[in-house]
This record gives sequence, C-alpha cells and structure tokens, in this order.
Amino acid sequence: MNVLELRGLTKKFGDFIAVDNMSLQIREGEIFGFLGSNGAGKSTTINMISSLLRPSGGEIRILDRDATKQTRFAKMNLGIVPQDLAIYEDMTAFENVSFFAGLYGLRGNDLKERVQEALEFVGLSDKAKSFPKNFSGGMKRRLNIACAIAHKPKLIIMDEPTVGIDPQSRNYILTSVRKLNDSGCTIIYTSHYMEEVEEICSRIAIVDHGKIIAEGTKEQLKATITDVKDIRIELKSLDALDLEQLKSIPGIRVLSVQQDDNMVRIQSDAAVDNLNRILKQLIDSGMEIRAVEEQAPNLETVFLTLTGRNLRD
Amino acid sequence: MNTLSIAWKEMKHDFRDFRTMIFLLAFPILLMLILGFALTNVFNGDVSVDNLKVLVKNTSTGQLSEAYTAFAKGVSGQSGITFDDLKAGVNGREEVEQNRYADYIEVSDSGIHLYGSSRSPIESNIVQGMLSSFADKYNAAAAVEQQDPAKAELIIAATHQTDYIKDTAINADRQPGSIDYYAIAMTVMIGMWGAMTGGSLIRSEIVHGTAARLAAAPVRKSEIFMGKVLGSVVLNMLCVFVIVMFSKYVFKAYWGNHLPLIFLILLTEVIMSISLGLFISYMMKGEPSGGIVMIIVQLASFLGGAYFPMGDDTGGFLGSVTNLSPIRWGNQALTEIVYNNALTAALPVMLLNMGLAVLFLGAAAMMMHRKEGI
Repeated sequence: MNVLELRGLTKKFGDFIAVDNMSLQIREGEIFGFLGSNGAGKSTTINMISSLLRPSGGEIRILDRDATKQTRFAKMNLGIVPQDLAIYEDMTAFENVSFFAGLYGLRGNDLKERVQEALEFVGLSDKAKSFPKNFSGGMKRRLNIACAIAHKPKLIIMDEPTVGIDPQSRNYILTSVRKLNDSGCTIIYTSHYMEEVEEICSRIAIVDHGKIIAEGTKEQLKATITDVKDIRIELKSLDALDLEQLKSIPGIRVLSVQQDDNMVRIQSDAAVDNLNRILKQLIDSGMEIRAVEEQAPNLETVFLTLTGRNLRD
Repeated sequence: MNTLSIAWKEMKHDFRDFRTMIFLLAFPILLMLILGFALTNVFNGDVSVDNLKVLVKNTSTGQLSEAYTAFAKGVSGQSGITFDDLKAGVNGREEVEQNRYADYIEVSDSGIHLYGSSRSPIESNIVQGMLSSFADKYNAAAAVEQQDPAKAELIIAATHQTDYIKDTAINADRQPGSIDYYAIAMTVMIGMWGAMTGGSLIRSEIVHGTAARLAAAPVRKSEIFMGKVLGSVVLNMLCVFVIVMFSKYVFKAYWGNHLPLIFLILLTEVIMSISLGLFISYMMKGEPSGGIVMIIVQLASFLGGAYFPMGDDTGGFLGSVTNLSPIRWGNQALTEIVYNNALTAALPVMLLNMGLAVLFLGAAAMMMHRKEGI
C-alpha cells in the first residue's frame, strides 16, 4: 500500500514555480531519501505534505485518502521532525512531548505511557523532568523526534534531523530511525549528509528546480552514471585555480570546488582518458597537487552529475 | 479541549519566563512606589491659612468705634488673626501691596473700607466675610435703635461675639492621593500591556520553531487562536490581580467598594489590548510589530495619565488626543467608581473595550484563516 502518493503536485509563489508537477509514490515500510540542494523545492514539498502550505495544484494522498480534503485524518497519521528545533525551552522534556501528543487526542494514562515510551525511545527518559534549555544540541534533536512520534504516526517526515550535532548523537538518531522503521513506520528522510542517506534509505528521489529528476534505490541511481568517472584532486591552495581553463579539457562534464578542504571534484566521461592533461594544466598554472583520487560513482557523484551542484550548495 | 491545552501551555510557558514576569509585575509596582512618593505634592489640595495679619486705621467715633473695637478685640487672636493699628507715616495700601499684610481696613464714621490683597485671596475673603457679618449686625442695630434704643444694645452686644470663624469639617468626596492615583493608573497600564503579549502570541511560536508542529497537528486554527488568546488573558488578568492586591494591602491604596466591577472593566481592557496586539502582529507580519505595539502602548500610557496626571482641563489638540487612549477611559471609569460610587461609569468603557476587541479579533482571525500555516 502507498503511504504517500503525490499526483502532479504544484506550488507557485506568484510567477515562481517552487514545485512543478511532482508525482511520487512512497510504499509502506520504506525509508525514503529526499535529496535536493537549497531552493530545489524539497522543503516546499514537505510543507505541503505537512499541511503547512496549500498546493497550487495536484493531489496529496496519505494512506489512500486525499490529504487536502481529509486533513484531520492525514494529520493524525503524520509526524513531523522539522529542521529547526520545534520545542519549548521553558517546558520540561515530558511536558513538551505531552503537550504535542495531547493535540493528537491522547489523554490520561494512555498519554502518559506514550510520552514515557517516546522519551525512552530517544534515550531521554532520565531527563523527563529537565528543561531543554539545559540540553546539548544532540539531546534537543532527540527531544524534537520524541515530540513527533508519541502519537505513533504511520508516516514520519524527518527534515535534516541530524544537523549540527555530535557523531554520537547522530549515530543514536540513525539507529532510532531504523528502529522506528522496523516498528512499521514509513519515513521520509532529508539530509545534507549523503552518507546518512546512503546508509539508511531504501529508496531515494533527487529533486531539482521543483522536479524529481531521478528516483530509485541507491544502486539504481548509481547505475545511471556508469559512463562517468569521479576524480578528486586535493590542492595546497585554490588561489590560482582557473576553472574555465579546466572546463575546456575534453571529456569534463562537471567541475566543483570544495573550499573547506581545497578539493577540486571533476566528473568526466569515463571513456575519455584526460587525467594527465588535467594534472598538467594544474601544474602549469603553478598549483601544488597534494593528492589525486579516482573513485567509483557514489550517491554524491550521482547528485553532482545530475544537478551540477554539490548537495550543500 | 485542545483550546484549553494550548491555553494551559501558554500560561505555563509565560509564567516560567522570568524576564516577562519581572516586567509585568515588578516594574509597575516599582513605578507606583517611585511616582507615588515623588509626586505626593501634586495630589495635596490642602491650603494653610495662618498668621493672618490685618492693618487697621480706625478714625471712627461713637457707637461704630465702640462696636468695631469690641469686634476687633473679640476676633483678634482667634484663628491666627492679628489686627495691627496703622502707625503714623505708614501707607496701609502699600503695606498690603508689599504683602506684609493680607488686608488693610479703614474704619471711619462714613463706613468701613477694606483693601484686600490679590496675592492672598483666601485670607482676604475671610476678613471680608467677617467684616460683612459685623457690618450687617451693626446696620441692623442702627435700624433697631431708631425704633427701640433699649433693644439696640442687645444687638450691639452681639457684635462682640468671637465666633466669626468656625472650623467645620466638610464631608467632601474622597479624593485620591498620589499612591491611590498611581495604583489605578499603573493597573490600567498593565491591562494595556496585554497588547505586547498579544503581539508576540503567534510570533513566539514562529521564533520557537513550534509554529510548524502546531500547524501540522490535527488542531483547527481557531483552536490555536482561541487557546493562545485565552491563556494570555488569564495570565494578564492574574498580573492585574496581583498589582491590585499588592497596592491595596501593601501600599494601602484605596480601591473603593466595588472590586468585582473594577476587575470586570480591567478584564475587558485586557481582552481589547490582546486583540489589538494580535491584530497588529498579523498586519505587520513579523518583527516590526513588536516595536509598533510598544510605541502605541507607551503613547497610550502617557496620554492616559499613567506616568503623570492629565487633567480634564487639558485642552486643544492634546486634550482631544488624550481621549483616544484606552488607559484614559479606564482611569476615568475606575476613578468614578472608586471615589464617586458611580457604577454607571463602567458600562460605556466596557462596551467600548469589547466592541474594539471584537473588531480586532475578527480582523486577526480573518488574516489567520487566509494565511498558510499559523
């Protein structure tokens, strides 16, 4: 059964089309990765599914019912973990989860049990009476998840749930996502960390300019770019780098620069042997090469090849 | 049920916001204390009349001289009045002009002339009153003498009386002292501060990031709206209640005998203020609304006499503008009820507040309904 189905979903802001005739099916039990750089239309789509925005056109079906018409049914079966923390700092962890779960009709002992269960699930049961203002970033992120799951939704949308937290908390959250999925929840997962998506998602959609430009399992997506090789060159400095000169080398499809680690990433035709020419070009420009690596295509390569941009652009 | 949950959350959240509570409670109490004591004299209407000095030139003879001497002797020393004889070479009128004497009296056979001082009108009026009384009795005696000389002596004797000035306590309407005034003014001002909490009702959810979670929950927008307004009304009314009780029992401010009615008026003011804040926050769509609400509240406070009394005689443009301040409406109604027991003063201000509240809330609800999210 499809837990979520989008049929020609469109959202316009004036003349700007943020989501353009998007269609998608997410089946029960999937962890569905939703990838797109900033402004691709990913958040707008999620906001429409969450009833925060009204679609300009198309249809959203949750558990086979029209979500725009049967809003209450759709909301009852949906849990959202927003990218920005959505918790009250002056209310205890228990009160936060209890308040939001109460809005889904839970009352009395049932409510209390579900809240305790949710806090236990995210590893915060010993912090139930503590205030989030005293929590670490990772603990706040976990509480953010607890607030979305206490009412046991069928579909959970997690928008960047691991942003800005330590590796330990990230691992905890990823494990929690898997456990939620094992318990029967369908999950839509967005992240800027490609390795997370690759690790936990069973199916992935890549969104660009409001449209889904690729969809499938990670293996299926990687298979779409067998004719591309991924070359990574680490330089001492990027100061003298002339991208236009590099682009003129035959076979090169996409060039991108990672400023943080002085890395140039090149997607080139696999059939064209141009590595020597690329290196010569860089050396002639007076650049010092520290490392060269040619990788098999991964999800990031797929994204870069399809969109021409890094996920974090 | 969701409305109550949201209202309860709102109250719990705000009560734990230490800075807001300090702002809502400590600030007005402190202001009441400081302004109440600093401006004590502004509210003190007592006038002290003592050492009333009168200069007299008595050139009369016969019965008038005799009667006047008896009158002056009887009155002199009473109630702080002193009659000094005019010395040779001294100009009586000049003495009054120089304010060394309150009055100058010339008594001659042709009559009594009084020269009062415009600089001491109260003292002058007292002396004038006594002299008029004396003159009336003397004239009556003169008239009786023509008919029955024996009886005239009785009337002449009556001019010897000394009780021309009688201290009588007049049971005037109670007037507010400075603490009394500021207790009302500050409480009404706190009611108006509801506009600030109202202005941040929706914005705070956006700032906390919780607006998305609320909007995604199976709760109607109207429930969110009513829950937040209800929570804010209860919180603001509790603050108003604390301010009233604190001023009544700690500062001993006078609140009259109709406290329930007073709280009812304040409730309508709080509802109107929160509605105003909510309306402006939807109109302005974001951060600037806080500044606009603050300016409106401060203007209303100033014009409404929260910081300094704005008298009824304030005329011209300022006088007209003061009438636009909800704090002024509240102040006037509460003062009428507390000091004049004028219960009818409550209805117009309550109707006005609730009318405006319906308008603001209606407009805000409409804007919320049209908006995506909350």
